[in-house]
Amino acid sequence: MRDTTGSAAPDLSALLRAANAGDAAAYAAFLRAVAPVVRGVVRARGRSAIGEAGCEDVVQEVLLAIHLKRHTWRDDEPVRPWLYAIARYKVVDAFRARGRRIDLPVEDFAEVLPAPAGPDPTEARDVEKMMAMLEPRSADILRGIGLKGETAAEVATRLDMTEGAVRVALHRGLKQLAALRKRHVE
Amino acid sequence: MRTDDLIAALAADATPEPALAARAWLVPAAVALTAALMVVTLGLRAGLGAALADPLIAAKTVLPALVALGAGWVALRLARPGARAGWPARAHWRVQGVADGLVAAPLAGNPAADWPALLLGDTLVACLVTVPVLSALPFAAGLAVLRRGATTRPALAGAALGLASGGMAAALYSLHCTEDNPLFYVTWYGTGIAIVGLAGWLAGPRLLRW
Repeated sequence: MRDTTGSAAPDLSALLRAANAGDAAAYAAFLRAVAPVVRGVVRARGRSAIGEAGCEDVVQEVLLAIHLKRHTWRDDEPVRPWLYAIARYKVVDAFRARGRRIDLPVEDFAEVLPAPAGPDPTEARDVEKMMAMLEPRSADILRGIGLKGETAAEVATRLDMTEGAVRVALHRGLKQLAALRKRHVE
Repeated sequence: MRTDDLIAALAADATPEPALAARAWLVPAAVALTAALMVVTLGLRAGLGAALADPLIAAKTVLPALVALGAGWVALRLARPGARAGWPARAHWRVQGVADGLVAAPLAGNPAADWPALLLGDTLVACLVTVPVLSALPFAAGLAVLRRGATTRPALAGAALGLASGGMAAALYSLHCTEDNPLFYVTWYGTGIAIVGLAGWLAGPRLLRW
C-alpha cells in the first residue's frame, strides 16, 4: 500500500490520526483528499448508469459513512485498506440500492485516477431531499456550517443556542442524514 | 449541497462515536443471564462436579466453549471494515479435529449394532431445541456490539456470531445434559451450534447492514 508522504499523495494515516485527536483542519484535509479518489472510482464505474449528479450523491454517501464509522479504524494500522474497504462496500451498496449491480475490485481505489469535482457545480440532489426531511433546526445548522461556513459558535449565537447544543445537533443531524439515505434509497 | 460543503459540515462535527467495545459488557451480561435462566428452568445435572472430573464429560463443556471464544473473536475482528477472519477461524478446525477424535472412542468400544442407539440418545430433540433457544440472548448482545462496527463481510460476521452464541449455549446446556457419549454430543451439539451459525449467516446481511 502506498501510504508515504508526497506532494501528490498526502499521508492519509497521519491526517486521520490528527483528526481523531481533535484536529478539524487535518480532518477536512483528509476528507478533501479522499473525495476525489472515491469520485474517480464511482464515475469510472457508474457515470453511464446514474449520471454525474447521481455519482456525486454516492460520493457524499461514502463520505458520510467514513465519517460515522471513523472509530472503527485502528490507528496503528495503515488507513488505506480500511478506507478502501468502507468505500467499496458503500459504493456497491449505493448502486445496489439504485437497482444496479456493479463489480468493484478494491484495487480500483488505488489505480483509478482521482477526479476533481469539476468546473460545473456538481450539486448532489439526494442530500437536498434528505435535508428537507430533517428537523428544520438540524437542517439550518448543517446549512450554516456547510454552505455559509459559519463556526459552531456563530450558529449558536444566531439560533440562540449553546455551542454544545449546536455540536450535539450537528452530530445528530449527520446521523439522521445517513439513516434517511439508507431508508430513502431502499 | 456541494460535496465541499458537506465536508465542511463533517469536519466541524467533532463528536466522536462511542468506541467499538462500548457495549461489550452486554455479552457477559447476556451469558450470565442465560446461565441463570438455564439453571432455574432446566437445572444442573446431579453430581455435576464429579462428572466434570471425567475428561470425556468435561470436553462436552470445554469444546463448545472453545468454539464460542474462537468464533466470538472472529466476529469481533470482522466488525472492522476490510478485516479477514484470520487464524482463529483456522484454529476452529483443530477443535473439530479433537471432537472427531472423541467420536472414535465409542465407535471402537461398541459393536456396530449399538451405534444408532448411541448416536440418537434419549434427548435429541431437547438438545436441538434448547441450544438455539439458549443462544438467543448472547446472539442479541453480540449483535448490539457488532452493529457499532462496520463489517464489510456481514454474512461471515453473522455466521461467526451465530457459532459463538451457539457454542456458548451448548457449553451451558452441557451442564444440564446427561448424555455423556461423545457420539451423541459431538453430533448434536455440533448440529445445534451449526443451526445457530447458519441462522447468523442468513440474517447477517440484513442485521449487520450499515
